[in-house]
Amino acid sequence: MTVVRLAEVSRVHGEGATAVHALKGVSLDVEAGELVAVMGPSGSGKSTLLNLAGGLDRPTSGTVHIGGHDLATTRDLASLRRREVGYVFQDLNLIPSLTAVENVMLPRELDGVRSRRAREEAMAVLAEIEVADLADRFPEELSGGQRQRVAIARALVGARCLLLADEPTGALDTRTGDEILQVLRARCDAGAAVLLVTHEPRYAAWADRVVFLRDGTIADATDRSLVSAR
Amino acid sequence: MPVRHGLLALLSGGPRHGYQLRLEFEASTGATWPLNIGQVYTTLSRLERDGLVAPAAESDEQGRVVYTITAAGREEMERWFSTPVVQSDRPRDELVVKLAMAVAAKEVDVSEVIHLQRTATMRTLQQLTRAKRAATEGVAQRLVLDSMIFQAEAEQRWLDHCESVLKEER
Repeated sequence: MTVVRLAEVSRVHGEGATAVHALKGVSLDVEAGELVAVMGPSGSGKSTLLNLAGGLDRPTSGTVHIGGHDLATTRDLASLRRREVGYVFQDLNLIPSLTAVENVMLPRELDGVRSRRAREEAMAVLAEIEVADLADRFPEELSGGQRQRVAIARALVGARCLLLADEPTGALDTRTGDEILQVLRARCDAGAAVLLVTHEPRYAAWADRVVFLRDGTIADATDRSLVSAR
Repeated sequence: MPVRHGLLALLSGGPRHGYQLRLEFEASTGATWPLNIGQVYTTLSRLERDGLVAPAAESDEQGRVVYTITAAGREEMERWFSTPVVQSDRPRDELVVKLAMAVAAKEVDVSEVIHLQRTATMRTLQQLTRAKRAATEGVAQRLVLDSMIFQAEAEQRWLDHCESVLKEER
């Protein structure tokens, strides 16, 4: 099952002589259970691709589908995003005045889920990635790796089928970074689709497929046949 | 002399026979360094000649000779561990030479060479990562795989670097 589909997607910032073609006719499908990594130098269009795939930005041309919904014709995009898509960014954006579990509960409460159930769901996902014991700590009381785990828990809570991660290993050391990839990989093996942007080959190597972006187009990719050989 | 010193290191944990040494050596190095049993016995007899190990007077119940490390053997092993490895006799890297030649030869599409290599190296990196996830032989094996991952990663980074430098040059 295809969770996210980009078809001939282009994104132009500005217009006329100063127009920047961030993405030029990129097509990419990510299946359920598949981890796809996008690599490329700065300015190659990685983050633009991720923002378009998650409905945070709209393409100049081409279409984006999430779980069969065409984002161009979706009325309540914000609600679709909250239900289907989880985001993990390099800057974690955890809310400092909320505890770990409250941070994870937040998107569910925005969805109208009652506080008690939101807490149960949040605790379940914190337990899944083995940080249940940190639930009542505030972000400033956590290490970088622990904060990133909580941010991932927030991205996973509820039954979201698509996880978008932009340099989630940011400033972490390689051992902690590997642990973060382990968490993403496990979520993928449990059926989620994960799109990971990274400039670090060692983390991209956790993916089933690696796509190399250059100047807004896909320069090359490790093929999908390797996935079936797994 | 890594085999020689590797065997000494294993024997420092207690007396062992040749076959056992081979198994433990391969388990620790994640089978990246396969040893044949002949190699193990040749090395053991040299170590014995140099007085670094000693065979037990009697074979075990299955007729295998059990070896013990000597005091001189322990000293040699400690010397090995306290001496850093020098990368002086590293073999030339074929990829480095290939890319240099691709740049020198005017007719070759260097960026195509880079693209092909990058995809191949990434596949290697993916295989190593899968092997690491599946690794069950303990921490020594995992660290050996990590070493190979770091090397493949360095190659990948270098290829990216080549690409961006060549792009500027053009």
